Amino acid sequence: MKVDLLVNGARCRLDVEARTTLVDCLRDHLDLTSVHTGCEHGICGACTVLVDGEPARACLMFAVQADGYAITTVDALAPAPGELSVIQDAFCETHGMQCGFCTSGMLLVAHALLSRNPNPSHADIVDAISGNICRCTGYGQIVDAIELAARRLAGTNIGAPGARIMSGPAFKFVSANRRVREDRRFAAGRGHYVADIKRDGMLHVAIVPSSHAAARILSIDAAAALAMPGVHYVVTGAELAAAVDPMLNGLDTPRVRRFSLAVGQTRYSGEWVAAVVADTRAIAEDAAERVEVAYEPLPHVVDVERALDPSSPEVHPEHGSNVLLDKTFVWGEVDRHFAESPRSLSFRVTWGRNSTVPIETFGVLASWDPWHEMLDVWASIQMPKYAEQIARALRLPANAVRVHYDVDVGGSYGVKRGIKHTVLVAYLARKLGRPVRLIEDRLDNMRSGDAHGPERIFDVSVAFDDAGIVKSMKMRALDNVGAYAGRAPFQLGKPIGAIVGPYKIESVQYQALSVMTNKAAQEAVRGFGQSPTNYAIEAAIDKVAAAIGLDRVEVRRRNFIRKDEFPYLIPSGTRYDSGDYHTVVDKVLAHADWSGLQQERDRLRETGMLAGIGIAACLEPSGGNSSFEPLLNPKNTTTTWMDSCRIIVDGLGHVTVAIHTTSSGQGHETLAATVVGEVMEIDPDRIRVVRPDSLASLPSNSPVGSRMAVMLGGAAFHAAQKLKRKLTTIAAHRFGVAADAVDYVQGAAIDRATGKRLEWADLILIAHRNIHLMPEGMEPGLEVTHVMQVPTGTALPTADGRVQMYPCHSFEFHVVLAAIDPDLGKTELRRYVIGHDCGTVINPHIVKGMTLGGIAHGIGAALMEEFVYDADGQMMSQSFMDYLLPSSHEVPSVEIVHHCTPSPFTVLGQKGSGESGYLGAPAAIAGAINDAVSSLGISFDKLPIRLTAISDAVAAARESTGGQ
Amino acid sequence: MKAAPFEYVRPQSVDEACICLAADADAMIIAGGQTLVPMMAMRLARPSRLVDITRIPELHGIRDDGTAIAVGAGTRQVTAANDCSIAGSVPLLAAALPWVGHAATRNRGTIGGSVANADPAAEIPLVLVTLKGSVVLRRPAGSRIVAAQEFFIGPMMTVITPATCIIEVRFPVWSASLIGVGFQEISARRSDFALVSAAAQVALDDSGRCVACALGIGGASAVPQRLDAAADALVGSRLSDDEIGQAVRAAVDTIEIMTSSHASDGYRRRAAAVLGTRALAEARDHAIQCAAGPVQ
Ligand code: FES
Ligand code: FES
Repeated sequence: MKVDLLVNGARCRLDVEARTTLVDCLRDHLDLTSVHTGCEHGICGACTVLVDGEPARACLMFAVQADGYAITTVDALAPAPGELSVIQDAFCETHGMQCGFCTSGMLLVAHALLSRNPNPSHADIVDAISGNICRCTGYGQIVDAIELAARRLAGTNIGAPGARIMSGPAFKFVSANRRVREDRRFAAGRGHYVADIKRDGMLHVAIVPSSHAAARILSIDAAAALAMPGVHYVVTGAELAAAVDPMLNGLDTPRVRRFSLAVGQTRYSGEWVAAVVADTRAIAEDAAERVEVAYEPLPHVVDVERALDPSSPEVHPEHGSNVLLDKTFVWGEVDRHFAESPRSLSFRVTWGRNSTVPIETFGVLASWDPWHEMLDVWASIQMPKYAEQIARALRLPANAVRVHYDVDVGGSYGVKRGIKHTVLVAYLARKLGRPVRLIEDRLDNMRSGDAHGPERIFDVSVAFDDAGIVKSMKMRALDNVGAYAGRAPFQLGKPIGAIVGPYKIESVQYQALSVMTNKAAQEAVRGFGQSPTNYAIEAAIDKVAAAIGLDRVEVRRRNFIRKDEFPYLIPSGTRYDSGDYHTVVDKVLAHADWSGLQQERDRLRETGMLAGIGIAACLEPSGGNSSFEPLLNPKNTTTTWMDSCRIIVDGLGHVTVAIHTTSSGQGHETLAATVVGEVMEIDPDRIRVVRPDSLASLPSNSPVGSRMAVMLGGAAFHAAQKLKRKLTTIAAHRFGVAADAVDYVQGAAIDRATGKRLEWADLILIAHRNIHLMPEGMEPGLEVTHVMQVPTGTALPTADGRVQMYPCHSFEFHVVLAAIDPDLGKTELRRYVIGHDCGTVINPHIVKGMTLGGIAHGIGAALMEEFVYDADGQMMSQSFMDYLLPSSHEVPSVEIVHHCTPSPFTVLGQKGSGESGYLGAPAAIAGAINDAVSSLGISFDKLPIRLTAISDAVAAARESTGGQ
Repeated sequence: MKAAPFEYVRPQSVDEACICLAADADAMIIAGGQTLVPMMAMRLARPSRLVDITRIPELHGIRDDGTAIAVGAGTRQVTAANDCSIAGSVPLLAAALPWVGHAATRNRGTIGGSVANADPAAEIPLVLVTLKGSVVLRRPAGSRIVAAQEFFIGPMMTVITPATCIIEVRFPVWSASLIGVGFQEISARRSDFALVSAAAQVALDDSGRCVACALGIGGASAVPQRLDAAADALVGSRLSDDEIGQAVRAAVDTIEIMTSSHASDGYRRRAAAVLGTRALAEARDHAIQCAAGPVQ
């Protein structure tokens, strides 16, 4: 059909199918890839455009409906190429974004708000953006940006609110309140996401999902689908399994085989049974409906405790049981400590199945060039050893797989691993000789993207004394991994590196139990299992305090490792690097006005509200390695877990830094440039950062395990040191002195004794053009590389199951005041203060954003997010209508209290901060709710704690006590 | 998540729209599309043809005909929210509109679309039922007016027959001088669909006595429900908190709760009582405030 649109002032006459949504029209027909899709059902706001000047969701409109309307996208906001509007600039100044995926929508909403209301209140801003979900930022810096823009537009600019500059050693660029360089392109709508990439002849995949939780596949009839115009191919699990190797399964469980498509049997509702390839995604979906699959339903199990029962249906009958992993560690004299302790208590808490759910779904595009024998892959990926895993599964040499790292990832927070998607499209691309892409839609993502997070039952016992000192802990963690191993078992392993939290618990017994059910498989989720574990530990400390009638903060203080005890060896073998927990707590309580906060709680109670204060003290292990792999699988002897950086200074003296991974909003380009600039004493803004493809890259392990500040920062630092050394060596040769007699100062090499100087230009000239002036044997040019191993992580586990897990340990102390409507059960977070110590901060904006975003994510886990399955094994929360992500209304303004205890194990004293808020927020919020309802004699021991559950329990409690 | 193929037509008049609908049993009307498009994207709705009525001039406009404000079915929610006659004459609708979806969906969504969709938790149908409004329908055979209470017959179900188009939605105007309204709602996130909502409108005489009262509950039952027993019991009272609480509690016990997985039956009944009580108290306070304050 013909449509006539006025897009960003230009008249566009197009011919589209009636079913083409406005967002697909803008993206596919007009290449306006600044408009994104996150849900295609009207909830996330990523597709927001202005229709005749007012925000509208472009996925909720067919292009034909927009005929004759004026459409504005973010592309029209910039006054000139390379120049940002005031609002865009304000977003860059406050770092009101991370991955950039929601940013176009946020900017247009902000633009519309400020056009209508130049002087909005804080509440107006929060309300205006509440229809746009940001999964990265927790909204704080977005609100700051809009407030700043309003002031600037009104001509009353006073500087940005900014993130605070840290205390710590004197740095020039590190810790400075500098902009995040990635933000410019995102604010301009110029992020480069996988769905924005087009290749000639590209075909599209849609999935045929299983309608049963468990069923034998009797037959698949694709004839009707294949007969449809535009349909190229239908592939089944049987065909795929004959051509590729199973995906890697980290444990030694060879009979739990996993392919991209179900082979012979489906194991969860939504599992991929077949894939259709067609000219467009819409045609592929039409055809997927016509693929006829005959099933014979099999018994299924979704409840993990039932799955543990040997009589229950087996998810993988070949494996002989549903248990993937059952390993008990005993570190220290647990039995003696329990026997000798005057007190003990036991309890159960349950962590519901949720995930990080980025607004960009997972997507991958693969293309095979038979003349070069090369598989090119573009993906929204955050996966260590991705290229190797693809090559292995497809039986290709690793040097025939080229992964393009210059793809912006629209949020990941752990989950974007996509091996199953990639193997499928890579197989199809080779088979069909055409580029093939699979961009999950939201349903694919939720029910079968295999990206759920941990679902855990903790049974915990602690032994303690009358003073509240916890001596020993027993923890059994029973994890519902879903239908395949995925990374789930290892997410029980990583928390071993901080199994005692910030406390001096002397001995621990830990049973890690991974059990399969007929649910979707898990993927790595922010914190890799640490947030559920922290929730269980913090619940224990709260219960100890209640048992002895002591203040919860005081009990924590008594159990904390003291500042002078670092490095501190915990029973499970990890040496914590540094920390000053008591001081952070003191600072937070002073900032929050602890007694004032308690008075506020009591005042709320007097008004008839339920009110409570929650606290959580927890650790963020960072600088990730993979020590949990050999710990849980003795056949795995991996100890190496490197990251890398290359610096090139060209013949004109300009510096280019190469990093070797994708990023999903963490600001790695800013990180690398800042560190190299710091060491080389040059303005980071003059440094270019590039991302070569995987074949041109040094070995790297992607941004997992909160590792990049430590590992990419470390690699950049060491590479820059090498560069400096090369420059001083060249100069020393010219001066005729020893290398260590020459200083490097702001680009010049100076003979310390004589004061003779060689300037940057001189040094570049020698390195690039005057080999006759170079020291003998030195390579010409100026290129240095550094491949860095995780500090401290070099040994295999001991026979008794102790290992050094991550090197660094950031600390957080959360304090939250919750007010609950006793009748309706709605929890409102009235105050949220977090004390945060991640050592030396490299970029304060980035750390602030990570912290706020993590808290928002934790609020979701605590109160509303859950993948729910019914008794038939059908998933009940497949869309954003049922899986609820916190909006700006649900996330309070968070106050951050900084502290800096540098790590002795890292180059600048830095530690990780990417997981921060998420690791403690659920524990703190649950604690606040339980404090609020404790007077009724009830408590909640399962997350999420929904408003209906609170209301029902409060009503029941009141009824049993005779009502109120 | 792409809609199945369909045809699209954009008639210029209601009669033409009715003819388009009559010609094809699987045709559907699309107005703002804020509910229909996602249903189509998930292929839960598969119309063979979409009849786009958004540009039919006779479906636009907000008229005050003395006893009611007649809102053209194609009027966008944002237009209604910014309209002075609605703010002045149907303040309950004005109070409810900010709760409808988000700003971005109100910019496209229409009054008639929300009524036709008949979501039991939707705000506009609740206001319509509470105020005893009506819906004007047009078929090729002619027009008729249906009272709101007869219009909604179940979750997402109305008396609309195929080839029928909503022309107008009529919200009665109360003539009393001292009117107050209250709108309350609970949802997991603000701006989500309501688990339960309550709408109340009261009129007071100069002495502060209630002379007229209407209360409706949404989300708790299959269709929005008026609690006439509570409203009638309160006429003549001074709307003290106790009187309101008692009347609402008694009336809520008679609601037939719609069971769903999002909240227990007990929750819905409890929330209906609490929100109904709060909405009435809000309406009372609003009326008193109007009496005290300058005429708005
Ligand atoms: S609201 Fe349109 S993509 Fe989510
Ligand atoms: S920046 Fe908002 S979703 Fe990533």
